Amino acid sequence: MKKYSFLLLGVAFGFILSRAGATTYDYYAKLFLFEDFQLLWVIATAAAVGVAGVALFKKIKLRSWFEGQVVQFKGKPYKPSLVPGSLLFGMGWGLAGACPGTALVMLGEGKLGVLFTITGIALGTYLYGLMQSRALTVKPPTVVAQSS
Amino acid sequence: MTEVIVWSGWVGGLAVGLYMLLQWLVSGHPLGVSTGYGNLCSFVSDARFFHEGDYSQPNNWRLWFLIGLPLGGLLAALTSPNAIVASFSLGAMYDAVLPQALWAKGLVLVFGGVMIGYGSRMAGGCTSGHSIAGSAMLNPPSLLASAGFFVGGIIIVQLLFNLLA
Repeated sequence: MKKYSFLLLGVAFGFILSRAGATTYDYYAKLFLFEDFQLLWVIATAAAVGVAGVALFKKIKLRSWFEGQVVQFKGKPYKPSLVPGSLLFGMGWGLAGACPGTALVMLGEGKLGVLFTITGIALGTYLYGLMQSRALTVKPPTVVAQSS
Repeated sequence: MTEVIVWSGWVGGLAVGLYMLLQWLVSGHPLGVSTGYGNLCSFVSDARFFHEGDYSQPNNWRLWFLIGLPLGGLLAALTSPNAIVASFSLGAMYDAVLPQALWAKGLVLVFGGVMIGYGSRMAGGCTSGHSIAGSAMLNPPSLLASAGFFVGGIIIVQLLFNLLA
């Protein structure tokens, strides 16, 4: 049941992204041309609210409603492909005027160009998975088995 | 193209930030979108990558979150004063620099999408997972990735609009 509630959470987040201007193509071009910082304000304010909220949640040892366990605020790890990957992502972001979340929201607004973008994102994810799977097959993850 | 209501940047950011905190409070899961595209791959691919780790159970919260997003866009458009106009336009600025022919424009957008999809997996997340949730945790790799996202965006858009417009 819990996973289905994410349908509603997705609706809420999609609605907010739209109202924030993140589904309006022009804001991406204007951001990277330094003409309008709407989306930078959105990200900066969201991050600032987040920093304050996470600090509070850590202090009160927040337990989530679904899990009942203390929420671990564990950041994503560094990996060598992070920097080249982030640059590649940024170039796609600027070229298509959308990111993985907003492309889906734009589809609901009737912005049909994202049909191509979404196809591309799924394809890029698939290609990465294929490459990783080949790497996994060539080099079995024996290191994991050795860890005590 | 559909015209939607847009709030001030800081109001939009406040809403995004509060949403992220609500999701943590309710589910314990940090905000993130791009990993969910791999869930879609899990249903059509036998590749190992899509059946291990994050993808050992692909019918999970991420899948339902992704399905909700277009519905949120539809709701936002329905509650805006102007009618919904289904269109392949990308607005005045992008339409001026992208090819006119739909097939060529589509090719550019698929290419952009591949960079987004492949790049986000290489980086381990996208704007929501790294720039918003990761920044909220002041996680150094996420701050680095966010800087990379912006640098990449600036490079391509400066090239695109200064060479072609």
